[in-house]
Amino acid sequence: MPDDRYYVTDVPPETPEPADQPAPWTTTTVVGKRLPRVDGYERVSGAAVYTADVVLPDMLYAAVLRCPHAHAMVRKIDTSKAEKMPGVAAILTDKSPGADVPWFNARTGPLSRLFDPHCRYEGEEVAGVAAETPYQAWDAVRAIAVEYEVLPFVADAEDALKPGAVAIHQGGNRSGDVTRYARGDVDAGFAAADVVVEQIYSTACEIHAPTETHASVARWDGNRLVVWDSTQGVYPIQSGLVQLLKLPSSSVRVIGHYMGGGFGSKLSVSKHTVIAALLAKMTARPVKLHLTREESFLAVGNRPPDTMTLKAGVKKDGTLTALQMTVLGTGGAYPGGGVGSVDWVVRDLYTCPNVKTELTDVFINAGQARAFRAPGHPQGAWALEQMMDQLAERIGMDPVEFRLKNVPMVSQATSGTPPYSSTGLKACLEEGAKRFGWSEARKRARTEGPIRRGVGVAAGLWRGGGGGPPATIIVKLFADGSANLNMGASDLGTGTKTVMAMVVSEELGVPLEKIQIEWADTATTQYATASGGSKTVPTESPAARAAALDVKQQLLTMAAAQLKVTPEELVLKNGEIVSTADSSKKVAIAGVNALRGRGLIVGVGYRGPNPEGKVICPFGAHFAEVEVNTRTGEVKVTRFLAAQDSGRAMNELTYENQTQGGITMGLGLALTEGRILDRSQTGKMVNRNWHDYKIPTAMDVPVEQIVIPIDLHDYQANSTAAKGLGEPATVPAAPAVANAIYNACGVRTPDTPVNPLRLMGLLAASKKRG
Amino acid sequence: MVPGFTYVRAKSVADGVRQLAAPGAKLHAGGTDLLGCLRDGVFKADRLISVSGLKELRGIAPVPAGGLRIGALTTHAQVVADKTINERYRALAQASAAVASPQLRNQGTIGGNLCQRPRCWYFRGDFHCLRKGGDHCYAEGGENQYHAVFGGHKCYIVHPSDTAPALIALGARVRIAGPGASRVVPLASFFVGPAKMITKETILEKREILTEILLPAAEPDLRSSYRKVRARGSFDFALAGIALALLIKDGKVARARVVFSGVAPVPWRSEPVEQAITGKALTPDVVAAAAEAGVKGAEPLEKNGYKVPLLEGIITESLLALA
Ligand SMILES: Cc1cc2nc3c(=O)[nH]c(=O)nc-3n(C[C@H](O)[C@H](O)[C@H](O)COP(=O)(O)OP(=O)(O)OC[C@H]3O[C@@H](n4cnc5c(N)ncnc54)[C@H](O)[C@@H]3O)c2cc1C
Ligand code: SF4
Repeated sequence: MPDDRYYVTDVPPETPEPADQPAPWTTTTVVGKRLPRVDGYERVSGAAVYTADVVLPDMLYAAVLRCPHAHAMVRKIDTSKAEKMPGVAAILTDKSPGADVPWFNARTGPLSRLFDPHCRYEGEEVAGVAAETPYQAWDAVRAIAVEYEVLPFVADAEDALKPGAVAIHQGGNRSGDVTRYARGDVDAGFAAADVVVEQIYSTACEIHAPTETHASVARWDGNRLVVWDSTQGVYPIQSGLVQLLKLPSSSVRVIGHYMGGGFGSKLSVSKHTVIAALLAKMTARPVKLHLTREESFLAVGNRPPDTMTLKAGVKKDGTLTALQMTVLGTGGAYPGGGVGSVDWVVRDLYTCPNVKTELTDVFINAGQARAFRAPGHPQGAWALEQMMDQLAERIGMDPVEFRLKNVPMVSQATSGTPPYSSTGLKACLEEGAKRFGWSEARKRARTEGPIRRGVGVAAGLWRGGGGGPPATIIVKLFADGSANLNMGASDLGTGTKTVMAMVVSEELGVPLEKIQIEWADTATTQYATASGGSKTVPTESPAARAAALDVKQQLLTMAAAQLKVTPEELVLKNGEIVSTADSSKKVAIAGVNALRGRGLIVGVGYRGPNPEGKVICPFGAHFAEVEVNTRTGEVKVTRFLAAQDSGRAMNELTYENQTQGGITMGLGLALTEGRILDRSQTGKMVNRNWHDYKIPTAMDVPVEQIVIPIDLHDYQANSTAAKGLGEPATVPAAPAVANAIYNACGVRTPDTPVNPLRLMGLLAASKKRG
Repeated sequence: MVPGFTYVRAKSVADGVRQLAAPGAKLHAGGTDLLGCLRDGVFKADRLISVSGLKELRGIAPVPAGGLRIGALTTHAQVVADKTINERYRALAQASAAVASPQLRNQGTIGGNLCQRPRCWYFRGDFHCLRKGGDHCYAEGGENQYHAVFGGHKCYIVHPSDTAPALIALGARVRIAGPGASRVVPLASFFVGPAKMITKETILEKREILTEILLPAAEPDLRSSYRKVRARGSFDFALAGIALALLIKDGKVARARVVFSGVAPVPWRSEPVEQAITGKALTPDVVAAAAEAGVKGAEPLEKNGYKVPLLEGIITESLLALA
């Protein structure tokens, strides 16, 4: 399960005891401010070096030959023509020494290898070429002659389970066991309900489509491998390479640095990285492998498509009596978490004593799914939050009020039903409704004429987002008062570096422009888990704070000796150390002799453990206003508001950016995006380009996008009081739009994307029904 | 990655025509469509003959006898910014503004827009379909949600251009230079459907260059519009569109030209709609009847049935807007 990477259960040894945790901030001067990115200039000016920009002396460029069929067996590969082409330095195939690398692990062991002749999806790797230029590499790829035996394929989850369906793996087409969950007694719950509604919903497969496609540069320094990688986590890439290439950890250095988005698709090592490393070894030259957009559509992850049947019971007074969900999903041709966490919102978002879920994950001949911004949650919310709307209508209750009635204080799906460390769900709904003008907007709904207007609400949570150990951060304070922040975490473009620097600045009073950041390099920065699961801020910021405090402690001790006072009476303020007892006793940082003598102070900070018996979980509520053109099926989202509880808002600007990104991605899920496979003929993806795969544009998002941080400081969670934001910010967006569409035109939209193709059909059908 | 090619600049239209005789030569204007086709392997080109430097092919100017000449290399952005076009030929201004995205409108030319290749995803993908010289159409029994409901015949592309229907509605003609004397043809007969020819969309021969678009003088009572529905707000082709050019006199439609986009392999002139409104005031009843007439005879494939009510919807909306 890809989600495993998100949750760390065993607390590692360096984790300090809870008693050693610093006291919470009462007021802050830097944290919480609206500040631009510390690396904004580099990113905008082009000075930032992304993996795709790395150029090394003597470097070769690689390209990958991929299977053009949904399902095929490679019978013969003839590289003789390609080998003789100008500029070609090496060709790597299944037969090459060292290429026998096992791949795609299931419980039973690896299901495949680097260049498995049995290609189970379009885009599966068949060979790699390194040449002097990218063009020569691609010319050579085109010149490799491959004889394929094309096999029958399965392009749909339902087809995969039909008797006689082609078996993608020896064991058949089921990916793992059926996942089951139950609490209470759903039958009794439905019997006790005044209203029972059942509906089938589905979400299309989405592609991550980060701006920067996957890229790696590999170089061998003797027996040591150095890899530049566009990744969310340098340490997971390092451990992946160590395992696959059978090298000691000390011999693999992974450098992350700037990267242009990942959304979950860059959490673990990919085949292209290993191909680059092997080609670099063969040629004894550095090799760059930068995937094309087409390749990134096929082979490096997606959000699995899910079909969800949801049945719900409710009493007239708004009490939920039962929820029952069955899910069929597919993570592609290899275990990809096709249904992972899809039922979590059903289990945990609302108070309900009787819940039963059953999730079936199957293989199809398509690229493997990977964690995608809140795995499973947007799919589950698409179903649950439309269902909540349907129930509210049936019992004649306002949808906000109905949700408020069912806000839980405990995590019902976690064993022992522990309380949440904080829950802002109620506040998100109330504050969001107030700021959106929910009641008035509902009254303003236009249900006559060709252009209808309506509003919708949806809520959500993200089961991760608490973060936790391990995390180690080092802060160095130089004698001139400038500082160095050293952390292993990646900054996906979300603002991680900015937020961590703000924490250091808060504690040490060093201005942001005097903080130099070293990050995401296994050779020079400390261990960090991947930046995923919305856990980077709650994981790393307490460690950054602890490191800064360690520095401060040492600095005050040095200053105390110099000023002949006790360290306890000293405070650090505006670059000066001042006695609280006698303000004439003070010294600037640059004047601390011991620091000058030593050159710098090194502070080390660790992430403390999470509280026992508490569940840390971010929440959110989204409100959408739409106009539906009933003549054309066009939907225009005219207004959107997101109220998020992610604990303390560490930087209002990055908070807003993350949330607006989440909204936009949710609008993509709701309205425009979906992988389309040529289901009945070839199984190939027909819309693998920017034009046919429709990411929302500036014209598809409302000008008015309001983000409301519900600034609840969660000091039970950690010492900076923040919870995760990136993922919860996208969970409720799509169903809020669907509910608004229903409110506007009375048509329920159970399947994504709700584009004019789909909505026009639904509107025409509803007109016919009268 | 785009396979290698030789790039040469034509010194004049005549030089371009000469150079196009080379084997594997293709004309290059803004390159926005051409380079995509080469990258996707839709067709091959060994040699690109670029006319992008020829100033005489750029610009918008009035014709002494009345009307307007638009050079083939005029960009969409230039068309959108032109005062006369905005005032007198609104359908064209609206159509050009609805093309693609700002970057593409700055680079793409109106001539290239008329000559661009279709967007059928099988055609653009690595499927050796009928239009590429293969032996069958993948769309007919496959993923045909974006395909034609009118005029399909063995191949079911929709013509991708937004400007073509607007120009046809406005009565445009085009001048074509070739090895002999140049010829001028009505734009409506510039396009050919699959029943006549499957591997090409226009009458252009290999060594021909479209040099200019000629618009007739706009009558004072001319009202025109272009409306396009797409699956995404920008950077997207028409699911269905409609260009109207109506001469309205004394509250009645004296002459009508109605052309659909996004529903047929060529810009689709709808005589049924024209007949349903000519001589009449655009009352709700007349418009409803016209919308119904407009979709009569539509033959949807398995997945594009939505185009029928959609087309009905935009016929209604657009006619009422001009009433
Ligand atoms: C992502 C994307 C989205 C788009 N969306 C839309 C849209 O919504 N609506 C729309 O209408 N169009 C759309 N287009 C098409 C766009 O308008 C055209 O690409 C552009 O107008 C073509 O002009 P160009 O000068 O770049 O042509 P080129 O790419 O240079 O040429 C296109 C083709 O026409 C031929 N050609 C060009 N000029 C001439 C000439 N003067 N005489 C003879 N042959 C010629 C070339 O040989 C080539 O085959 C889109 C294109 C892209 C890439
Ligand atoms: S519609 Fe035309 S272009 Fe598309 S697959 Fe069929 S023959 Fe090819």
